[in-house]
Amino acid sequence: MDVDLIKINLDSVTDKEVIKELGSLMKKKNYVKQSYIDAVLHREESLPTGLNIGDTCVAIPHTDPIHVNMPAIAVGCLKNPVKFRSMIDPERKLDVRVVFLLAVKDPKKQVELLTKLMDLFKNVEILKEIETADKTESIAQIMDKAIS
Amino acid sequence: MKKVSILSVCGSGTVTSSMVAGKLKEKLKEKGYIVSTTESRPTEALNLAKSGRFNLITFTSPLTPGDYGIPAINAFACLTGIGEDEFLAEVLKTIENMQK
Repeated sequence: MDVDLIKINLDSVTDKEVIKELGSLMKKKNYVKQSYIDAVLHREESLPTGLNIGDTCVAIPHTDPIHVNMPAIAVGCLKNPVKFRSMIDPERKLDVRVVFLLAVKDPKKQVELLTKLMDLFKNVEILKEIETADKTESIAQIMDKAIS
Repeated sequence: MKKVSILSVCGSGTVTSSMVAGKLKEKLKEKGYIVSTTESRPTEALNLAKSGRFNLITFTSPLTPGDYGIPAINAFACLTGIGEDEFLAEVLKTIENMQK
């Protein structure tokens, strides 16, 4: 987990701002192509990625592998909850606290990672740890433990 | 080991369908099944389903209406964890019914 892709106390107020903020961290380190952020924004409009896990909500914005150079995950902990539309019921808006922006390069080769990530998204205890972490390094540690 | 072929459908045919596919492979292996999966977008799903290569469909993005000819099971539970056991039980029941 690249600690430079983690942002805490993110004070964005819209889903688009969060995606741009986290996407630019990925762009800066060349994980993704120039087209990535717009592609994610576009996809989020038609296929939103908010997930209600029960006690909290997360979002997992992503897009097609053609916009990705190297696989990566960016994590954004929001200062205040931001509305993302639900993947399951796009009419519904969810108060999201943690956003995992995904840059997926080769889903076939990354199945194991994706499965672990999926287990992470729905693990409320780990999500709470990430939500309340006060250092980006602690989040990197939690992520490394969960997905390695 | 018995073989099962699953068509996993999601919005862009990459990320969440691969997550669901990974989960199914892992869980069904424990039950003695070898699972092969194909990931696809909703727009490709109908043609693929009609190819006769698949036993069932799982989806995390609404399927376009049509006659798929094979069972289709909503896999959102795999993403949220809520109702995941029920989802896996439904998949298993569907597969077992096919073997009869």
